[in-house]
Amino acid sequence: MKILVAVKRVVDYNVKVRPKSDGTGVDIANAKMSINPFCEIAVEEAVRLKEKGVATEIVAVSMGAKQSQEQIRTAMALGADRGILVESDTELQPLTIAKCLKAIVDNEKPDLVILGKQSIDGDNNQTGQMLGALTGMGQGTFASEIEIADGKVSVIREVDGGLQTVSLSLPAIVTTDLRLNEPRYASLPNIMKAKKKPLDTTTPEELGVDASPRVQTLKVEPPAERQAGIKVADVAELVDKLKNEAKVF
Amino acid sequence: MDFTFTEDQQLFADSVKDFLQGEITAESIRASWETETGRSDELWAQITELGLPAMLVPEEFGGLGMTELDVVLMAIECGRVALHEPIVEMAMVATPLLAALAPNNEKCADLLGQIAGGEAKVAIAHTVNHVVADAHIADYLILPHADQIHLVAQADVKLEAQESVDPSRRLSTVDWTPSEATCIASGAEGVALLAATLNRGALASAAQMIGLAEAMVARSVQYSEERQQFGKPIGVNQALKHHMANCAVKTEFAKAPLYRAAYVLSMKPESADFAISHAKVVAGEAALFAAKNSIQLHGAMGYTWECDLHIWMKRSWALDKFWGHAGFHKNRTHQWLMNPNAQIGADNTFGAVAI
Repeated sequence: MKILVAVKRVVDYNVKVRPKSDGTGVDIANAKMSINPFCEIAVEEAVRLKEKGVATEIVAVSMGAKQSQEQIRTAMALGADRGILVESDTELQPLTIAKCLKAIVDNEKPDLVILGKQSIDGDNNQTGQMLGALTGMGQGTFASEIEIADGKVSVIREVDGGLQTVSLSLPAIVTTDLRLNEPRYASLPNIMKAKKKPLDTTTPEELGVDASPRVQTLKVEPPAERQAGIKVADVAELVDKLKNEAKVF
Repeated sequence: MDFTFTEDQQLFADSVKDFLQGEITAESIRASWETETGRSDELWAQITELGLPAMLVPEEFGGLGMTELDVVLMAIECGRVALHEPIVEMAMVATPLLAALAPNNEKCADLLGQIAGGEAKVAIAHTVNHVVADAHIADYLILPHADQIHLVAQADVKLEAQESVDPSRRLSTVDWTPSEATCIASGAEGVALLAATLNRGALASAAQMIGLAEAMVARSVQYSEERQQFGKPIGVNQALKHHMANCAVKTEFAKAPLYRAAYVLSMKPESADFAISHAKVVAGEAALFAAKNSIQLHGAMGYTWECDLHIWMKRSWALDKFWGHAGFHKNRTHQWLMNPNAQIGADNTFGAVAI
């Protein structure tokens, strides 16, 4: 079984980002970049499936600037067998990414595609679903547990009301939620081995995808600063404020 | 000249940093103080899985074949979290000594393989230190005796625990009897290896002290942003922020001698004494300076047991004295500079190694 895993290069989750002074975007100059945490979970799940003997090959795919190779190398250090970079210096939006992935799915013919449910920079939560629509594959989003047997993948999804279990015929798409697994750390020997694993590069144009953005960001601004709290004299005053000022009752 | 670390060296350091910052917290360090050994088999298993014990083990003995320059950034990260497990000393100090002897010594070669695989731990003693760190959990001890070096099973020595100012450190004095069977080096070879071991120990301590200094400054800056007085963070006051800026400058200026020392030690170890001593002195000064000013910034509570700052501060105190105190290393620097044939000047900055 071949598994395709998507990994996105994002600002490390520990970095406190700030909007640019002109409000045109987020200032990520010199910020530490990492694999999107949900994508890391996707890689870990694929590696676990390979360790169980369910999967035979893991292909890690990333899109974006040339530096995204670092995230593919990290995925390969975690256990992916080879990598594909779709190189582009333009801002890649979910639909473009999904179309590129569709082209790679057509070429690679994986049995399972695992993606993070969303990236922590765009927070769009769209790529997996769009890829499902483009490929016609079944999709199990927000997965907290997956099991593969008899040509099907059983996915336990984290939904608002609790947990929902769906069964999908392979090939299928799974997007990972936070509790699916706890990713391992890349070991030094595996980081060294990853350097020798093959990494192919292509472009959206070569894949026949128009990469021009369809959504324009008009303004980015920080959240409003939290106001200082006040002390109330008694419960009656608290209830009064909640009712008349906060209007929560 | 390119003075930057390679992409791989940065990647290794980032990987180790991610692991350490994810697993080692002030709470976990405090928890280790309550255990009998002060060490965790579970954490050691993770460290082994990452490949850290194998860093300086040559590839032919099952290791990763790295150099001091490759691992110095990782040692800084170990200092940053005040790591209590003995990986830095074992990987950076003990294994290179065994690696030097392994080609002609089967016992050392076997032990290197076990270390790389996480099956054995080694503690190392030196005449410059009065005690041995982590001998209580070691399978073997490397012990000096005059111009000889002995490899002794821990079961064959008697350990007496010694208290450290740093509760994370577990120290011992060793009562043992040298024998021909345990001797692995002697004469000129033994002397040379002991000298190289001193340099590696000092480099390992210096690197950790840089990490400790940066961690203390980071904690203090964070505290000064959170602690409010008269309606504003205390960090806005020049009386505090200038102290932190001075600490950051001192630490930054100590990094170049540290990196130079790691470079010379990995490329031309026979010329490394001066560079190593320089690095140890300035790293110690940076760490002690950061400790002192961080306490001042925290106010009286900075010195209390409840405030985590003392974990980093006491480690700085301990490492500043270990593998040669500041006076020892200043003397070595003095002797080097006063040598009639001293290799000083721009041509010798990196130990006359072409880069």
